[in-house]
Amino acid sequence: MKNSFSIVWEVTKWEFNRYIKFMDMVKGILFLGFFMVVGGLVGSWVGSETVKNPEIAVASYGVFESESFESNALNFSDQRKTPVDSLKAHLEAGRFDAILTINSLDEAHIILPSERAWTTTLNTLLNDLRTDHKIAELDISPEIYADLSANIEITSEYIRAAKSSYVDKVVAGGSIVLVLLAVFMGLAYQFAAITGEKNQRITEQIMSAIPSQTWIDGKILGITGIGFAYVLFYGVMGIIGMLALAYFGVPFDGILGLINPLFLLIFFTLSILGVLMWNSFLAGVAATIDDPNTSQKSGLIMIPMLPVFLSFFALANPDTLPIKILGLFPLTSYAVLPARMVLTQIQWWEPIVALALLAGTAWLFRLLAGRIFTAGMLMYGKEPTMKEMWYWMKKSS
Amino acid sequence: MLRFSSVSKHFGKVKAVDNLSFSVNKGEIFALLGPNGAGKTTSVRMIMQIMHPDKGNIEFESSVMTSDNKVNRALLGYLPEERGLYQDVSIFKTLLYLASLRNFDKSEATKKAQMWLERFEIYDRRNEKISSLSKGNQQKVQFIASILHEPKFAILDEPFSGFDPINQELISDCIRELRDNGMTILLSAHQMQLVERIADRILMLHQGKELLSGTMQEIRNQTVADHKIVVEYSNGFDAQTLQDSANIKSFNHNEDKSVDIYMNELENLNGVLADISSAGPVSSLKTSEVNLHEIFIQSFTKEEANL
Repeated sequence: MKNSFSIVWEVTKWEFNRYIKFMDMVKGILFLGFFMVVGGLVGSWVGSETVKNPEIAVASYGVFESESFESNALNFSDQRKTPVDSLKAHLEAGRFDAILTINSLDEAHIILPSERAWTTTLNTLLNDLRTDHKIAELDISPEIYADLSANIEITSEYIRAAKSSYVDKVVAGGSIVLVLLAVFMGLAYQFAAITGEKNQRITEQIMSAIPSQTWIDGKILGITGIGFAYVLFYGVMGIIGMLALAYFGVPFDGILGLINPLFLLIFFTLSILGVLMWNSFLAGVAATIDDPNTSQKSGLIMIPMLPVFLSFFALANPDTLPIKILGLFPLTSYAVLPARMVLTQIQWWEPIVALALLAGTAWLFRLLAGRIFTAGMLMYGKEPTMKEMWYWMKKSS
Repeated sequence: MLRFSSVSKHFGKVKAVDNLSFSVNKGEIFALLGPNGAGKTTSVRMIMQIMHPDKGNIEFESSVMTSDNKVNRALLGYLPEERGLYQDVSIFKTLLYLASLRNFDKSEATKKAQMWLERFEIYDRRNEKISSLSKGNQQKVQFIASILHEPKFAILDEPFSGFDPINQELISDCIRELRDNGMTILLSAHQMQLVERIADRILMLHQGKELLSGTMQEIRNQTVADHKIVVEYSNGFDAQTLQDSANIKSFNHNEDKSVDIYMNELENLNGVLADISSAGPVSSLKTSEVNLHEIFIQSFTKEEANL
């Protein structure tokens, strides 16, 4: 005799195996690699033709010495003896890319077929030449010039300095992205699974066999598993890429050593609970949708994005009271708390409270989603109103 | 096996089931009949715990209850009216998954699935996706899914729908066989000739209430007439004579020009025959039992007329 946990596990496996196709993922990566190689080859061919150094005919160097016109990105040709009309004919014929005439220290003129991106590089080069000329003219030593152009150095002292490395900041950002990726992967499958079951009239059969809460629990776990499987798959691909780079001398072992394991654990736990919470929410929403193409409730799927927007406020000032509250509030903590942890010093109890509240909310969402699911899955051809959904959520059975 | 006591269920202002009571005995085929909207599916959903009654009790026999006094869903089978299958999954995987949800042992489920698929002649296609099957074959898979785990009590809502007459016979044979092997079956169907042949007892519902119940014979006794005579007149007949007859309960003029004449008791047979012959020249005559289809039509027509 199986208990309800093993039935949940049966549903979890079923949902996971219905949608996860590892061979398709591998094929996708191989296709991506193939197109990257093809794209690289085509790009290098196109680049070799379009990104070659422009040939600039110089009709007049003005106050500058011709030898000082040296650049890796631009080729200069001394054409002071060639008449301008001939130079223009060469330009039309494509033998030169531009004709440059320097009239004075403050003025130059360039003729070219149309706008070109490399003129910015030319401008920088001419400005540097002008600065050097002015330094020589004013008899300023290099030391004095360096002193004149130096910036004021500010040293910062933080009274709540974060005990995080720059790698921790990357990991925190990664964990937020991971949650979003897993939520949106899960969302796609959740909607496909639940609305598909409604449309294929499978629900009644399953709900007679197992309690609807057991069914939705298995669905949430299975589809969350799919989201994390994709994240894991691309994570493994990333590690393989890092190992490949390490082989060529990039010091990744030093970078990995900068990760704070406690931070990593907290971020990871927040991510899992955050994904479970939002997948519970989305399962409830999906159960009320009859046709995803026309449903008014489809907009609810954007709600998981909101905490990520709020986390940007933490970047501006992680120590304000609203940000501290949002770091504990379960709907936003998965994104705001990691941002606060890497930007400032937080109290030791904050992650504990945030995790406890998030776990409790995920559990509550699961129960509420189960109640909406029970009623919504048997509603064919119409969608429940918000009032009806509220009624089901309050109803105990 | 099941006792349905004073059960009511409302949907807004609509009374789907209205103070309904009945019981299903162990090892019988119990048929639930009624026109669309009579409350059959709502009753079935309440039995399967998909819905809960507003009033009244639904009690199961202790053999299908768990130790903590809950209904053991693993011992119930259900073929819902609103049914479908995972179209992108193979037949065999679907059956094993649905059996696993009913706590049925995997190796046993594999054997039973093979046995039933062979019986329905679709075993060779077991690894094909459900979407590749015809509607009739999908119905077979759904029927198998509802009884594969050998439930003690199975509810089959419209089990014959989507089948041709040959497969309807096959399904009715299977249902009888399951009953003979000890399974209790609650059946809801519109194929009256099949229900009449396989149901041990029948309950007819109308607007959520009981209209008639009992064995086929008991229902005949409660309704239009016990017996029927089918008469053909060679040169028309006088309807008023039949209508005025004290021996004839009612009559019905058929499309093929024959006349169905219903009478209550065989003791008055001579009087009935005299009235029939006085209505016109008779060219043929045969006796027949009133069938369930006629009872169904006449009972509901009469009930609607009384409203």
